[in-house]
Amino acid sequence: MSTEHGHDHHPRPDSELALRARALEALLAEKGLVATDAIDAVVELYERDVGPQNGARVVAHAWTDPAYRERLLADGAKAIAELGFVGAQGDNLVAVANTPSVHNVVVCTLCSCYPWPVLGLPPTWYKSPPYRARVVAEPRAVLGEFGLELPDEVEIRVWDSSAEVRYLVVPMRPAGTDGLTEEALRALVTRDCMIGTAVPQTGSR
Amino acid sequence: MSAGARPRLGEVDAALAGRTALPRDNGELIFEEPWQGRALGMGVVVLERTGASWEEFRRHLVTAIRQRPPEPGESAASAYYAAWLDAVEALLTERGLLP
Repeated sequence: MSTEHGHDHHPRPDSELALRARALEALLAEKGLVATDAIDAVVELYERDVGPQNGARVVAHAWTDPAYRERLLADGAKAIAELGFVGAQGDNLVAVANTPSVHNVVVCTLCSCYPWPVLGLPPTWYKSPPYRARVVAEPRAVLGEFGLELPDEVEIRVWDSSAEVRYLVVPMRPAGTDGLTEEALRALVTRDCMIGTAVPQTGSR
Repeated sequence: MSAGARPRLGEVDAALAGRTALPRDNGELIFEEPWQGRALGMGVVVLERTGASWEEFRRHLVTAIRQRPPEPGESAASAYYAAWLDAVEALLTERGLLP
């Protein structure tokens, strides 16, 4: 596993560095280089920046731009970088597309590897041992428990993530959405659709 | 990157990819103590205000990380953001904005 999962170390017990950071911030404020509320804004922005809305942008763009869809399926990491989403070095993102005959679902059987540049943080169930074990052994039953009943003739492909390769499911664009703008389409693409435990809903079925 | 343009987090990730990458745990930025977030914020705002590039900041950060390995028992995030403070100071000093 990559070292990003390690939690064995702790910050230094004293707050020497905290004092130093505060002193530098005061100095920058005095020089007019940095305002405290500007720093607050950056921290807030970056803590919220990663989330499934990034993946929804990717999928909606793929739905409306066939050339982009091809690039996404050929090289996921490169295609998401086009939209400004970049993972840690070494992360390889593979986009897998649902079709009328194939449904894709993503798991990490070893731990909780997840395509965070596009989906943000994994939901608790994604990290739970039952999901990790059962979605491989009996995917149809597990998807049924998520409320997703697939016809028997649809093949279910389960993709096991690792530190090196992470998967993003590109769901099918729902019927009856031809008139929607790309922005409106984004709202249909939920996190679970991109993990593969749901499909986009239009509300009027 | 021009002064005043606040980069998306993904752009920061791209600029710092490799050994200067932001510490994360399965995607989530690691801030063990508030000062670590302040250090990140200071760096971003200083680049905005000075118009310095991420390449320029990265150069200072590489040096700072090399000169400040984690102390025994110190977490990677603590050592990393300590290096950010050094890098911000070094950049401002080089530009004559700090003594």
